[in-house]
Amino acid sequence: MLHDLLFRLRTILRLRAAESELDDELRFHLEREVAKHVNSGMSAADALRRARLEFGGLDQVKDECREARGVSFIETLLQDLRYAARTLRHSPAFTACAVLTLALGIGANTAIFSVVNSVLLNPLPYPNPQELVAARQNDSLPNLKDIQRQANSFAGSGGLNISPMDFTGNGEPARVHAAHVDAGLLPTLGVKPMLGRWISADEDVKGGPRNVVVSYPFWRDFLSGDPHILGKGIRLSGNSYTVIGVMPRDFTLPKERADVFVSLWVAYPEGAPDRDVHSMHSYWRLKPGVTLTQAQAEIAQVDHRLAEQFPDTERERGTLLVPLHEWLVGNIRPALLILFGSVALVLLIACANFAMLLMARAVARQRELMIRASLGARNSRLICQRLTESTLLSLVGGAVGLVVAKAGTTLLLVLRPAALRRFDSIHMDARVFLFVFAISLLTGLLFGLLPAWSSSRGDIAEALRENARTTATGVSRSHLRSFLVTAELALALILLVGAGLLIKGFLRLRSVNPGFNPADIITMYLQLPPTRYPHIPLQNNFRRELLARVNSLPGAEAAMITDLPLAGNDVNHRVVIDGRPTPAVGAEPKVQTLSVMGDYFGVMQIPIRAGRDFSATDREGQQRVVIVNEAFVRQLLPGQSPIGVHIDWTRPNEPHQWMTIVGIAGDVKHFGLNQPVDPAVYEPFSQNDEAWRRWMTLVIRTRVPVGGLVEDVKKQVWSLDSQIPVSSIQSMDDLLAVSVAQQRFNMLLLGIFAGLAVALAGVGIYGMVAYRVNQRTREIGVYIALGAQHRDVLRLVMKDGVKLALLGVVLGLAGAIALTRVMVSLLFEVKPTDPATLIGVSLLLAAVALLACYIPARRALSIHPMTALRCE
Amino acid sequence: MSSQSIDLPQGTLDLLILRTLSLEPLHGWAVSERIQQISSDVLRVQQGSLYPALHRLERRGWIKARWGTSENNRRAKFYELTKAGRRQLEIERHAWEKLTAAVSRILETA
Repeated sequence: MLHDLLFRLRTILRLRAAESELDDELRFHLEREVAKHVNSGMSAADALRRARLEFGGLDQVKDECREARGVSFIETLLQDLRYAARTLRHSPAFTACAVLTLALGIGANTAIFSVVNSVLLNPLPYPNPQELVAARQNDSLPNLKDIQRQANSFAGSGGLNISPMDFTGNGEPARVHAAHVDAGLLPTLGVKPMLGRWISADEDVKGGPRNVVVSYPFWRDFLSGDPHILGKGIRLSGNSYTVIGVMPRDFTLPKERADVFVSLWVAYPEGAPDRDVHSMHSYWRLKPGVTLTQAQAEIAQVDHRLAEQFPDTERERGTLLVPLHEWLVGNIRPALLILFGSVALVLLIACANFAMLLMARAVARQRELMIRASLGARNSRLICQRLTESTLLSLVGGAVGLVVAKAGTTLLLVLRPAALRRFDSIHMDARVFLFVFAISLLTGLLFGLLPAWSSSRGDIAEALRENARTTATGVSRSHLRSFLVTAELALALILLVGAGLLIKGFLRLRSVNPGFNPADIITMYLQLPPTRYPHIPLQNNFRRELLARVNSLPGAEAAMITDLPLAGNDVNHRVVIDGRPTPAVGAEPKVQTLSVMGDYFGVMQIPIRAGRDFSATDREGQQRVVIVNEAFVRQLLPGQSPIGVHIDWTRPNEPHQWMTIVGIAGDVKHFGLNQPVDPAVYEPFSQNDEAWRRWMTLVIRTRVPVGGLVEDVKKQVWSLDSQIPVSSIQSMDDLLAVSVAQQRFNMLLLGIFAGLAVALAGVGIYGMVAYRVNQRTREIGVYIALGAQHRDVLRLVMKDGVKLALLGVVLGLAGAIALTRVMVSLLFEVKPTDPATLIGVSLLLAAVALLACYIPARRALSIHPMTALRCE
Repeated sequence: MSSQSIDLPQGTLDLLILRTLSLEPLHGWAVSERIQQISSDVLRVQQGSLYPALHRLERRGWIKARWGTSENNRRAKFYELTKAGRRQLEIERHAWEKLTAAVSRILETA
């Protein structure tokens, strides 16, 4: 046994020597044999023939000897690799084509896979992430506490609510994202601060100490990474907070972004006990062994008790728990999986081209292969050699594909929509490399085997016959080629249909009227700190003065509103209508409520459909007036003249303060172009009686360059109050673009894939026709010599290509109709079987295929009969 | 010659090679010649199959190879029996004798 191993090892180590020894040994034998025959009176030629006959196939004997030495596998592999590398170097055009084709296919796949890997496959960065669940609905702190107290399924829970806070240190005041949390949050996620400690439960109470935990980026950027920061104070929204902890560098909240963490009870004691303000995301950790179903059942019971206990606010409770991972990626998963599927089709097409390239090459090398076969090399040996070559090609293709993928992921990161933005960590890890390696290897083996197998079948005699007349090359191979071309075209059509549908849907989406004119509008967000603006009159003075100053800037026309359309925020109230039977307590309809100041409808160019706009006299002390949107009228006052109707919010234990509807404004797409419009009520800021509405968004229509104006506005803000940050400076056009970024992302990517697929399929069919023209040069020459017209020649050479193209289109259509159903969730107002799209892309692909057939066919026209006849 | 000679039964080639080499070291061609001579041309060794067999025996450690000079002054690869090869020859010879004895008994009596 040991001898065996040593022997093999020795042979492997001196492969080259062993090989030449084998050569010497066999040559010696043949020489002796020939000499023997010559001695017995044969002629030299006869002796040689006789010796060869008696010996058998030299290649075969060598193979058997190598096998007998037990090193054949590795030895052969190395030998084949050297051989493949050498022959590939000698045909750089072929090698470049094959490598590039594969690199595109593999690269695109790898880019998408690295996104899928980071987003869908990577575990969440918390210990035992499978125990973590999120509640789909926001809730209030008192409700969360009640559930936590009453339910046994959870090891912990934590809620948070991201609010802006003003950080005033040195330099410009900055608006930071503050997580208003309860103490359970971090223990639930299972994370500890890098420095210091987290907020403890006994500090998380009304009147608790003003402590803050800061994020790593905040600590690094705003606190200069001060290692002795613990115990020092920072100013947030007018109060001093003591830094007690710094979060780890790689820590992120599951979905939110936060710079600082403060206790909700401490930062906002007046709001924390409000049971009916459902503003907190909540995360829960299941006790080990508790299933989601059990937890859900228990939380439903608690919901039921809470609804009975607090019917006026909690009647509609229905907390739904979802696994945290699902909650985070649920929205983007369908799009990613569809993109992944699409890019796999692109790879298939690339592979088909690769296989056709290999086949064309096999034909070109047929003579060489035949000679080797007749020298006794076995079929399996020849196939192995060609597989080595195709695998080497595909591995190089994969390596180049990695470069393509790197560029691709960079592009993806630029394009990525909000849902992906959280995943800063989209990168290539070991899994991505493994993926590339596996996919390259598979590609090389599978698609190398196909042509290798098809060309190695049949005996030598047949191959010889075949070679004698190159005009009638292997029928089976020609079938395979036709099949590959048809499949390519069908796959390309499926992708084209997908892309076409997304493009159409996107155009539909973009043509949706948002209800306002986004052009030339710049917006800025401000929030008044409660310490300096506790009362409504103070707030309104600030607003009024700021508006007056901004409006006095040349070229600016300004107004303000609480929540801007498409910015992702909204405030809801339950509404009652005077003179209508009051619904059960807690079942009143909810409407969106917006406060405005200045000529908001004029600046945004939102049409007033009926009644009047607000006027300067609609202010404090005057009759309270509101403008409602059309959805309000449609849903809540159907068939009734809304002007003059009195409405109010629900006010438990308080008399109503009715507001009169004076106008109807056009519907505005507040939640996104593809979202329905909710009933909305606009009221003047000056008549609002809710002191917590301390935030506002300036909307400025301007004809002057935006940059200078923004600086001017900031100056005006800071001339009124130097400690108010101005943030979220963005144009309405940008907001609109961001709101459709996900759709744009899907459309662009699938569009790129479809383009790639069409190009590859075009190259495929081009290659096939060109190859056939090449093969039939003589036939075409004869044809032309016999007087065939251009038209006849074109028909002769294009016939097959066109037939395959049409077949491919038909099959592709069938495939598309079967497959595009999975895209329904990505489409906006377009059916997956949209006839216009199906017909349009079919025509497009047919045109590309025709062109791809025509170019090589034209070459056939220029064939000169004499050269054609001579070339055999 | 070829009309009278018979093909070698499966598995006997190793035994013949070992036996041939037990007399003196030989190169491949000589082995094939010697087998034919001794068997008075009755046995025909397919020359192509001789070499894989030699390499296989070498790998098992029953014979070992060294390069030497042939009788006509050419570089040739000579094989010689190792100790293990000698033992193996005895084993195989014994097995062969038992086999042929058994087969002949059956042929005579049955």
